Amino acid sequence: MSEPSIFFSEVNRRQGDFNRRAFLLGGITSLGLAALGGRLAYLQVIEAQRYQMLASSNQFNFIMVPPPRGRILDRNGVVLASNRPNFRLTVYRDEDTNVAQVIDNLSRLVPIDPAKIPRLVKQIENSPKKSPVPVMEDLSWEQFTRINVRAPELPGVSADMAEVRVYPYGGAFAHVIGYVAKVNDKDIKKIKDAGQQPDQLLYNPGFRIGRQGVEKAFDLELRGKAGGKKVEVDAKGRVVAEDPGGDLPPVSGDEIRLTLDVDVQRRALEVFGEESGAAVLMDCRTGDILCMASAPAFDANGFVRGLSGPEYRALAGYERKPLLDKALSGTYPAGSTFKPTTALALLAAGINPKERVVCTGGYHYGNRTFRCWKTGGHGAQDMHDAIKNSCDVYFYHLCNRAGIDLIAETAKKLGFQQVFDIGIPGQSRGLIPNKAWKREAYKNKPNPDARVWQLGETLSVAIGQGAITVNALQLCVATARIANSRKALNPRLIRSVGGKELPSGAAVPDLPIPKEHLDIVRNAMAAVANDTTGGAYRQSQLGLGDVLMAGKTGTAQSRDYKPGESRKNAGLAWSKKDHNLFIAFAPVDNPRYALAVIVQHGGVSGSLAAAPRAREIMRTALLKDPEIRARIEKPLPPPELDPNADVEGAEPELPTEGLAPLTPAPETATPAAPPPGAGR
Amino acid sequence: MTMSALSRPGERDRPLIKFLEIDWVFCLLLCLIAGAGSLIMFYVAGASWTPWAAQHLVRYSIFFVAMIVLAMLPLRVWFEVAYPVYFVGLALLVAVELVGDVAKGAQRWLEIGPVRFQPSEIMKIGIVLALARFYHGVSAESARFSWWLLIPLAMIAAPTLLVAHQPDLGTAILVGATGVAIMVLAGLDWKLILGGVGATLAALPPFIFFVLQDYQRRRILTFLDPESDKMGDGYHILQSKIALGSGGFLGKGLGLGSQSQLDYLPEKHTDFIFAALSEQLGFLGGATILLLYVGVIFMALRIASASHSHFGRLGSAGVTATFALYVLINGAMVMGMAPVVGVPMPLLSYGGTVMMTVMIGFGLVLSTRVHRYSEVTSGRGSLL
Repeated sequence: MSEPSIFFSEVNRRQGDFNRRAFLLGGITSLGLAALGGRLAYLQVIEAQRYQMLASSNQFNFIMVPPPRGRILDRNGVVLASNRPNFRLTVYRDEDTNVAQVIDNLSRLVPIDPAKIPRLVKQIENSPKKSPVPVMEDLSWEQFTRINVRAPELPGVSADMAEVRVYPYGGAFAHVIGYVAKVNDKDIKKIKDAGQQPDQLLYNPGFRIGRQGVEKAFDLELRGKAGGKKVEVDAKGRVVAEDPGGDLPPVSGDEIRLTLDVDVQRRALEVFGEESGAAVLMDCRTGDILCMASAPAFDANGFVRGLSGPEYRALAGYERKPLLDKALSGTYPAGSTFKPTTALALLAAGINPKERVVCTGGYHYGNRTFRCWKTGGHGAQDMHDAIKNSCDVYFYHLCNRAGIDLIAETAKKLGFQQVFDIGIPGQSRGLIPNKAWKREAYKNKPNPDARVWQLGETLSVAIGQGAITVNALQLCVATARIANSRKALNPRLIRSVGGKELPSGAAVPDLPIPKEHLDIVRNAMAAVANDTTGGAYRQSQLGLGDVLMAGKTGTAQSRDYKPGESRKNAGLAWSKKDHNLFIAFAPVDNPRYALAVIVQHGGVSGSLAAAPRAREIMRTALLKDPEIRARIEKPLPPPELDPNADVEGAEPELPTEGLAPLTPAPETATPAAPPPGAGR
Repeated sequence: MTMSALSRPGERDRPLIKFLEIDWVFCLLLCLIAGAGSLIMFYVAGASWTPWAAQHLVRYSIFFVAMIVLAMLPLRVWFEVAYPVYFVGLALLVAVELVGDVAKGAQRWLEIGPVRFQPSEIMKIGIVLALARFYHGVSAESARFSWWLLIPLAMIAAPTLLVAHQPDLGTAILVGATGVAIMVLAGLDWKLILGGVGATLAALPPFIFFVLQDYQRRRILTFLDPESDKMGDGYHILQSKIALGSGGFLGKGLGLGSQSQLDYLPEKHTDFIFAALSEQLGFLGGATILLLYVGVIFMALRIASASHSHFGRLGSAGVTATFALYVLINGAMVMGMAPVVGVPMPLLSYGGTVMMTVMIGFGLVLSTRVHRYSEVTSGRGSLL
């Protein structure tokens, strides 16, 4: 095509068109730019304040400062759980962090186990951005400073100081206090399921949550409130500057004081040695629990650190179950320690305590012979003798005159089959059978006869066997109620939370059992321990002058004896041996402490396995009591110098006499001594 | 210098005269914008000439000299190279489609020896030159409404689609819109303009939902509801608005922009430099920069309409349209009025390629100014 000829007019027309259009496009552009200017004014002048606020919320951040967890103290203020500083090494990742490289650099500065490195790298890579993952704990000061000096070259690495829970007595309180451990997904889920928002604190890498016992039950009180450190951060979350003026200090958790006594508790575990079992000792007047030990124990500090698989399996797999709280969760047949309870039921049924039953070593009932533990028999026994000698036949003979329901009712008055409010979870109720229970428990049996209580079953229950199970705390409470003879005492474990005293266990109604009945039983229990013919005479001598202990032995079978089978425990597997029990209170004349000791599968007898242990625990408690000490030390030389001279030969009858005046006299006799639990 | 002297034949071709004919006020405005950019880069880098501020100044200086040299080129030369530039650009776009380097999920770069460049940038100049040359030889009547118009339409569509396919939505919009602007300036019939606008609006929703890449669609949806995605795509818009808004009327002061200094503001030296500037210098600073842009655009349009040649007019106006689109798109994006597309603020933002394109374009504008009385008689090389 040839070049078009453009005429002059044509040129003018094109120029005119262009100028008009250019003017128009210029106008549109101006409109656009004016809109930009307007928008700019809107953002920078009208909305400025709002965006200034947003900018400062960008710029400033609060770094959580975890609060110190509240300490846990014993009744005298001895620290049972506290916090120690822990120099920690954490690493977080950013978009462009080469985690393996960072760890590799770190391992040149501090000893990181090479076997753990691949796992660590994976853990950090899988963690959310900027959330620190602990790499090493308990750095030495030297390692700590070495890391901090090099920190600028190590992106994401920081060495800081955190607090870590420490239990100075290791295992001695592991079951009562429990332990703290890392928060896991289940904890978070549980809180979310309850419809609550989990505390941000829970996501802090150093935070530990209460897992058992007091640590779990009072987790919120112990936890405290997190504080914040005001810092200026850049878009990558790196701290650029600190602003101490804007810091919010953390509020430390409440201090919890227990009623436990560290010396008594430790003595209890000491005397258990390798044996398995539980010991509970309480103040008969206030209900304060001084000792609640479960043996064997475990070191709670291990759980704070986190146990390795094999370590945990070793604990969980051990036959004697160190992880089980045998004082609360473990239930055992009461054996003969139940006889004082049965005796109270007999008295309530109107049986004359002087009535004698002749024990020939066995009792025929139905088509079965119920045997007394003493093969030859005890001869003629009244109630006092029957308790003192632990004669089974006496109770076989009389129990159905009281009947199972009255026995069960009496037992429940004393606190059996009851869960006490002591602040921590984990109590098993145990079982005191009665007719209603039998109907309910066997309701699915086709034969209606199976649901009816058989009178023969009462015989087993009367001597603490059969379906009966109790826990050590119940046994101790029952003993305390018998010993104190006045109050339906409740146990107390938590003395104060954050300085606020919890109600004492003594603020309860009187025990609905006549005092005379209790006197009879107590006198008999005193005889068990102090009559030279008593069941545990030799094992129950405290050696503390006229401060004497009363008690009752128990040996509970943990298997059925087949007819004709030997009842000897020697040579049996541990788990088949008898349980040995002992309940005690002291001093006899003015009961102050009640105690229950259960030696699981002790394999000997209550008097041989449990009573000596009870004696040692009781001695420790008594010697720590200033009132008792004053009483021992005033009239006599220290009993340690001459332990055998005074008690045994001279005053075998003393307990029976000493028991009679159960008046407030001893308290006024030593006015200088503070009452227990007061003033501290 | 008097008119009589300039009316002497050959007088206007003397280099010194040409040099003096350059619009130095216009050049001053460009220098002010580039200088402001360098100043902000200095402060967002923490009062440091490296890595951006010095580099920006050096580049600008080089391109400024280049622009002056280009301004001395007779329009005739621009006219001659118009089609070659366009077709070389088109060929390179095809090449990038076939063998280009993939960066950030898009094929934009071509590597020839040690040189890495984006052919789409050449096309920004190429489309202006080619269309200006085409219309130079077309009568007003044909430019208004005729079958001939299919040729410029194809000339616009080919590079636009190729660039969009890379995908580089920002540049595709720039190329396409610049081409359409030239068609309008050349005298396109109003009915066709309105019809085109209507058709474009109607085609927009299906285009967004069926043709765009996922990330592009997300950006647009995020723009419509920025709060929906505070840490993702909405983050850029939100942080930019916070930077701007928190600057207030007088600004936080140079070097005191917490948003840009602490890296909350993304791309604070490139696409979002206007936000960084307005954070530190406030509304006063931001509005001043906008006024400088307005000055540049209007002076360039005046140069265009003062030209005696249709090629010069359309070329300069096309360059101005590209420049204005840069400013409008980037400004709207930074202030949260448009989706995030990778379009920088010309001369203010760091980045060599865009600066080169813009400065070459202004070379054409200044050349139009210097040679405003020349008419580029289309004796040779015309397509038509």
